[in-house]
Amino acid sequence: MNLKELYQEIILEHGKNPRNLRKTEGFNKDAKGNNPLCGDNVHVYLKLNGQKIVEDASFQGSGCAISMASASIMTDLIKGKNEHEAKEIVEDFLGMIKENPELKSKYLNEDEKTKLMCLSGVKQYPMRVKCATLSWHTMVSAFDEKTEEVKTEN
Amino acid sequence: MNIDQIKKEFPIFDEKIQNNDLVYLDSANSSQKPKIVVDRINEFYTKQFSNVGRSVHYLAVAATNLYENTRSSVQKYINAKDKNEIVFTKGATEALNLVANTLGQSYLQEGDEVLITELEHHSNYVPWHFLRKSKNIKINFAEINEEGEITLEEIEKKITPKTKLISITHLSNVTGAILPVKEITQLAHSKGIIVVVDGCQGAPHLKLDMQELDCDFYAISCHKMYGPTGLGVLYGKKKWLEELPPYQGGGGMINEVKKDRISYGELPNKYEAGTMATAQVIAFDQSIKFLESIGIENVMKHEADLVEYGQELLQKNNSVKLIGNPKNKGGVLSFTIEGVHPHDIATILDEDGVAIRAGHHCCQILHDKLNIPASARASVGIYNTKEDLDQLNESINNCKKIFNL
Ligand SMILES: Cc1ncc(COP(=O)(O)O)c(C=O)c1O
Repeated sequence: MNLKELYQEIILEHGKNPRNLRKTEGFNKDAKGNNPLCGDNVHVYLKLNGQKIVEDASFQGSGCAISMASASIMTDLIKGKNEHEAKEIVEDFLGMIKENPELKSKYLNEDEKTKLMCLSGVKQYPMRVKCATLSWHTMVSAFDEKTEEVKTEN
Repeated sequence: MNIDQIKKEFPIFDEKIQNNDLVYLDSANSSQKPKIVVDRINEFYTKQFSNVGRSVHYLAVAATNLYENTRSSVQKYINAKDKNEIVFTKGATEALNLVANTLGQSYLQEGDEVLITELEHHSNYVPWHFLRKSKNIKINFAEINEEGEITLEEIEKKITPKTKLISITHLSNVTGAILPVKEITQLAHSKGIIVVVDGCQGAPHLKLDMQELDCDFYAISCHKMYGPTGLGVLYGKKKWLEELPPYQGGGGMINEVKKDRISYGELPNKYEAGTMATAQVIAFDQSIKFLESIGIENVMKHEADLVEYGQELLQKNNSVKLIGNPKNKGGVLSFTIEGVHPHDIATILDEDGVAIRAGHHCCQILHDKLNIPASARASVGIYNTKEDLDQLNESINNCKKIFNL
């Protein structure tokens, strides 16, 4: 185990100053998620334009550095993607967090991949995987217009 | 009292936890187990096993005697008047559910009020909530003061003519506040109100005397008391346990079963339906022997010293904020660090072998009141030393460094 791998500079920075920590004005999709074990919660807002492309993404909530950084990076890189692309990225990210050594999606550029790989350190901390994935599951729920809260059990 | 010697009785401290010596500061969650308890479980299963109270063969009779021995030991340890006032359950949670359920069946009426406190663990709130749903009883909350305490005055203020029952923790698993249970009970009884005590955190750390406390029910969690998991104790005054209906139905709790009628067994069998946690009950006798061998006064003295030391240490550590500052405080140090989420604290401390808990510790009402989503909690047991708390403080400093505080 390596704490330095988990708490990389970029995670600490995003955790401290999360991007898009607000509520998108005129959002048209949203969903809530919570982590009953930790008491962490997140509310994801998406604004899709006429072409179904994410024009803006934001979130509100509180949580640990990992969950805040994850939501921050996610909302940043999802902008400009359509639903299909976004969901493929989510799949890719969840696969990487759980087992895959790298990200494969063609919808991610190198810079985005590098940022997301900073979260790969949680792999070694099974109890913390859900911190990294909560906002991602919640975003999928927003796309799917699910009304019940997302609860990550892992 | 030699703590190093006591620590040696716990095999877990011989283990390296991820290459570190274990600094176990999570005893409020569950305590570690002395070797005599672990060995007793093994011995029972390898040499003496049989189900209890069913068959007449040699092993069954011997096991039944061992099982009943523990009941007597518990009775003596908590100074209950009668052996039949001791009921084994699967945990304190089940003990509290048993009380709420049976009082709900036959005593509490629609519109009655139950008074609990903002300090309560979910297991001393949710069972009453069930009655709020099913019987329309009302739940009132006594509020904490600035120090994270519940005072007798606050309880008195929240009692109304409709209050039928007060259910309170003996010792808060978050602020560490020790409640004036004896005084609250006196007050309650003078008004005909029943008192239930969640003794999970009290039982392992305080002197227990049921006849002196005089509460009507007291719930104990054995796994926090240097005993096995899957076991709890409900103390209940005999008149209540005799009067109340059974909780679960099945084998062992009956007297006579016919197609058209059933009569129930006597205490304590009435509340022990089905095959019980036999090995755990038998091993729990060793937990009590362990505590008796040290002496509860010594336990209390040692843990009070530790809390005082830890409190001073953390108070001096800037950016650490302790939760609650009760005058009468048990071995719990809950805290937050401005700018670091409790889960990050716990993960970073874990790297040094320091085991604490992060979250709401099953006390969401309290955390809402304090306006924090979670907290970090270090809690002590008989095996902890001042060095453990020094290590806690050092690891907290490391955590601050990682977060550039
Ligand atoms: C104050 C308090 N009440 C109740 C419980 C539940 O006890 P058990 O695990 O025996 O069901 C706990 C333990 O987490 C506790 O700390």
